[in-house]
Amino acid sequence: MRHTWMLLAFAALAPATAFGQSAGEVERCFQNPAACGQGGGAPAVPAPSSGAPVAATRPAAPAPDYTTVLQSPEPDRRRIQESLHTLDKYNGPIDGNLQSEATEKAISDWQRAHGLHVAGKLTPQEAQQLNAEASRTPIKRIEPPPQTAAAPPPSPPPSNADALKALNARLAERRKAAEPKADAAAQSLIRDLKAYVAADGKGVAGDQFAVFAKWYADNKAAGRKVGEIAPIIDDYGEAKVGAAVASEILLETKQDGNSQSHCLVFAWIEGNPRKNTQAFSCDDVAAVEKWKTDQALKSAWR
Amino acid sequence: MKRFLALILLAAAALVPAAWTPSAAQSSQAKAERRDPIFLRFPEMAERYWVSTDTSAASHKVVAVPMPRQCAFLYADSYTKGQMSESEVQQMALSNCNHKLAELGPLGENYSTDCRCQVVVSNERYVVPRSSLPDDSYGPVSIFYRDPGGNVARVNGVAKYGALIGRDRSVRFSVDNQRGEQVCEGTFTNSAPASGLFSLSCFAGKFSGNGSYQSKTGAPNDHIIARGQTGRGQPVVMVIGLPAQLAVATYGGI
Repeated sequence: MRHTWMLLAFAALAPATAFGQSAGEVERCFQNPAACGQGGGAPAVPAPSSGAPVAATRPAAPAPDYTTVLQSPEPDRRRIQESLHTLDKYNGPIDGNLQSEATEKAISDWQRAHGLHVAGKLTPQEAQQLNAEASRTPIKRIEPPPQTAAAPPPSPPPSNADALKALNARLAERRKAAEPKADAAAQSLIRDLKAYVAADGKGVAGDQFAVFAKWYADNKAAGRKVGEIAPIIDDYGEAKVGAAVASEILLETKQDGNSQSHCLVFAWIEGNPRKNTQAFSCDDVAAVEKWKTDQALKSAWR
Repeated sequence: MKRFLALILLAAAALVPAAWTPSAAQSSQAKAERRDPIFLRFPEMAERYWVSTDTSAASHKVVAVPMPRQCAFLYADSYTKGQMSESEVQQMALSNCNHKLAELGPLGENYSTDCRCQVVVSNERYVVPRSSLPDDSYGPVSIFYRDPGGNVARVNGVAKYGALIGRDRSVRFSVDNQRGEQVCEGTFTNSAPASGLFSLSCFAGKFSGNGSYQSKTGAPNDHIIARGQTGRGQPVVMVIGLPAQLAVATYGGI
């Protein structure tokens, strides 16, 4: 019966709280569509099964009815706490306990601010008024800064884009630190490759990189001479047994005035001699990545 | 101690291939087809997987997407012609998928479920039950709305829409909040392959808007950006395909 009272009060006020398309309402309805009467535009609260006569006699009641709200279903009591929270009156738990000290104080504050009898408890009408007021209040976190922009805005949490930017900056810094060692390692390889070519197929470069030795032999057999040799660092970083380097090497060959460009990826662990050496076709990205995985390379380059 | 570590590593190494090699039951799963929803959902991937001469003839072809189905708004496909085993290609696809997911930022404001990348197709066979895969397109959605008072609402959830957007003349979509309750529905009507008009209706028509949309491909992720107005002329923006934080950072300033 008491519930019927409250439902009636809510139903009577429903037109006054019709959806006004405030940002706050949109957010609330999105989170809780049932409270917006979703479902073919039905009213937000069910029609009372009985009790019309009660509604007629309610205004004549001599004493304020505080028990209806106190004994209302838990979701309704929680909503009251949420409304108080939205209105900055309450900062306690949303547990449906309307008789906690903090909730009663919040209700009292709200009643005082509205010139109502300060009881620390709510009548159904007051509960409705409170909820309606809260539903019209924009949610603070989405309130845009005032046009005057007088108050300095609080520093927002870093956005995803900012985080990515910061990450890229850190990566660039790390790469810059690794650059001298990576360049030195690549230049050392270039010297060995050139020495191998100069010695017509003899030297450590061929011993360490069988793919390169075969590449050289094939080109020599085809009558092609090796021209420029230039490195591009593909990756560099610490691996399980030392510093790992992967470098794309662009190799130029010449024949009858025509030049061709070739590309091999040389990968090795720094040392004298180089360890775990391997060379790949530049197209074989998967194999290069597998080599890095096998070496447990922690990249300082990417 | 070293022996103990070595034992653990050996055990892990032994388990990894088992985890990624499709079991006998999985390998008997349905054969993947060019017209399956997952390929219709990601046409560029379908092109690489089935058409492009560079990749379609690869010895191993693997697709990974975040699962469960409502999370499948991005993908990673990996191919090899080299000596990599199928399980290695699977690992690569999975790693790329995880990388993409991490790059886009947290999904917690859109999904209440935990989205995790999973290999779903390997060498033209589904390696997960076909029924677990999406038949429609899903993606994180954010809706921004500025009310007459200048306050901005930013709400996030999951959108579901027809896989053939851009090909069918009209595609219906729906928006669920984080609790999985349908809060909005609407229609995309294309006027060009990647653009057209949209209408949106939420809370049983209590909030609605319409305008135009554009389908964007590439970085940071394929997404749809729809901009319009409510009946009262207030601006509404809807982004499908970007997690909430990225959507706000990119389009939140309406």
